[in-house]
Amino acid sequence: MRIEDLQVAFSTEEGPVEALDGVELTIHQGTFHGLIGETGCGKSVTGQTIMGLLDNNARIKKGRIMYREQDLLKLSSRQMERQIRGNEIAMIFQDPGSSLNPLFTIKNQIEEAIKMYRPVPRERREGLILEALQQVKLPDARNLMHRYPHQLSGGMKQRVMIAMMLACNPRLLIADEPTTALDVSIQAQFIKVLKDLKDNLDLTILYITHDLAVISELCDYVSVMYAGRIVENLSMYDLFRDPCHPYTEKLVNSVLGVSTRLDQLEEIPGSVPRLINPPPGCRFHPRCSEVLPVCSQEVPLLKEVKGLHSVACHRR
Amino acid sequence: MNKWGYVGKRLLKTIPIIIGVTLVTFLILHLSPGDPVRIMLGPYATPETVAALRAQYGLDQPLPLQYFSWLGNIAQGDLGTSIRYNRPVTELVQARIGITLTLTLAGLVISVTLGSILGILAALKQNSWLDYLCTFQAMFWISIPGFWLAILLLYIFGLQLRWVPIAGLSGFASVILPALTIGLQEEAWFARPMRAEMLGVLNEGYIKAARAKGVRYYRVVGKHALRNVMVPMITMLALRLPWVIAGSVVVEVVFAWGGMGSLLVNSVLARDYPVVQGILLIIALSVVLANLLADLVYSLIDPRIRVEGGKK
Repeated sequence: MRIEDLQVAFSTEEGPVEALDGVELTIHQGTFHGLIGETGCGKSVTGQTIMGLLDNNARIKKGRIMYREQDLLKLSSRQMERQIRGNEIAMIFQDPGSSLNPLFTIKNQIEEAIKMYRPVPRERREGLILEALQQVKLPDARNLMHRYPHQLSGGMKQRVMIAMMLACNPRLLIADEPTTALDVSIQAQFIKVLKDLKDNLDLTILYITHDLAVISELCDYVSVMYAGRIVENLSMYDLFRDPCHPYTEKLVNSVLGVSTRLDQLEEIPGSVPRLINPPPGCRFHPRCSEVLPVCSQEVPLLKEVKGLHSVACHRR
Repeated sequence: MNKWGYVGKRLLKTIPIIIGVTLVTFLILHLSPGDPVRIMLGPYATPETVAALRAQYGLDQPLPLQYFSWLGNIAQGDLGTSIRYNRPVTELVQARIGITLTLTLAGLVISVTLGSILGILAALKQNSWLDYLCTFQAMFWISIPGFWLAILLLYIFGLQLRWVPIAGLSGFASVILPALTIGLQEEAWFARPMRAEMLGVLNEGYIKAARAKGVRYYRVVGKHALRNVMVPMITMLALRLPWVIAGSVVVEVVFAWGGMGSLLVNSVLARDYPVVQGILLIIALSVVLANLLADLVYSLIDPRIRVEGGKK
């Protein structure tokens, strides 16, 4: 999947908000791709744009989302519904508590996905449901599938969500901060499930998060997002050893590791700009410590550093 | 506790409500001016005749005594004898209750169906001309007094166009106008909440998640959203039932149906205490039962609502 120059704006009471301003992103098949950035930088909007599930007040102004030789943005909502969502691209959301319909059993909700994409006789469906639940390491699946969402814990619900989306047999799964609402101990369990899926299935994941630790556990490639733009694309290896953008560098250094002491921890001065009236030029320049005169005038474009590593910074 | 235990307990809880209803109806009737015997005998009756008749119906007894003897009779299934018709109240009611039920049910079916469809459409096409039209028509019907709407419909479709009979109950065609009167009046009470609830539910995460699975939008609305708005809609149904019955009383009189409504109105005018008390008691009972039924249906729809307690 290749996203090119994607621009999305929301109309709000305070005026238009340029949530995405020229996002460039390439996700390679079979990889786990992390999309990282602070809250409100447009990560989730990117995911929802790919799915065609933006809210009504959003408008796609420009750009292409190339997926298997077709532009998703050119498809009708009907085509997205029938051809793309579910069996090509599926998505899990931040809050597992509200993502399952409270009035239907787990079985019913997974079955709904299976009915659409796998034409198997009724008797075999139950087997597929069990398989899907076991795939995400849910214990006692035979019993569990007859339960209702409110009888499950948050971690279990999130695993059911994955099972439900995997039951659609998608090629690409977008995970929008799936661990944010979970307890830390449950997060680890959940990430282990994803890791196992990575080893056993031919699956591509776009993993959206603000949690570097999670990304470092799971992902092969990372795109760093800042205020509606991708500022750096790089491999997991480079993220910790050779970050090029000052923002990426600061982001990495601001993570509290077990070995780092608090006084070694760096914070990024200032706060995330409001997208209603973003700073001109490079949107990071008001917070950047290595700012050049050109930074406030020209928007830096993504430049290749080496191979798949690219960065949008005037200094490099 | 099992379901039937819950039903039993709920039924027991309705007893104080029913007793309260009997007390209030009894007091309102007996303390308001007007004497059934004088109304019946006319202004020229001798005091002796009046006293004799009052004694015959037990109206000379002290009020508490009258009340308790009435309660005692109810417990045995005896609603008393009509002063005006001189026939058992149960008999009078039995002959008419079917008519009233027909009208109430037909009115409810029209209002719930029409209201739900318009409410859902308004929610799906929020802020469109369709949405505004739905709001407008709801306000339009609800602002017209019921009796006037009934007369208007009668005039247009009965007198001018002659599509339907203008009075009485004779086959399906004669049900249309009275049911439509109630249906249109009540429809707003379902269309407006349906729109609001639907808009709320359509913003829920599970709607987006279902769409992310690739479930067709009409199915997302018809299955995932609709079931979630059913609990508040059933509450609305139970709440509106007394109003629908009250509306059918008026409509029945306009269309000269001779159902329980007409009987009630005539009996109030004649101060026919036993009949009025009996009918009010039946209406109160049906409302209490409808609410009980609604509570039971909630737990069928929403697994989070346990039959033992309230909403979680």
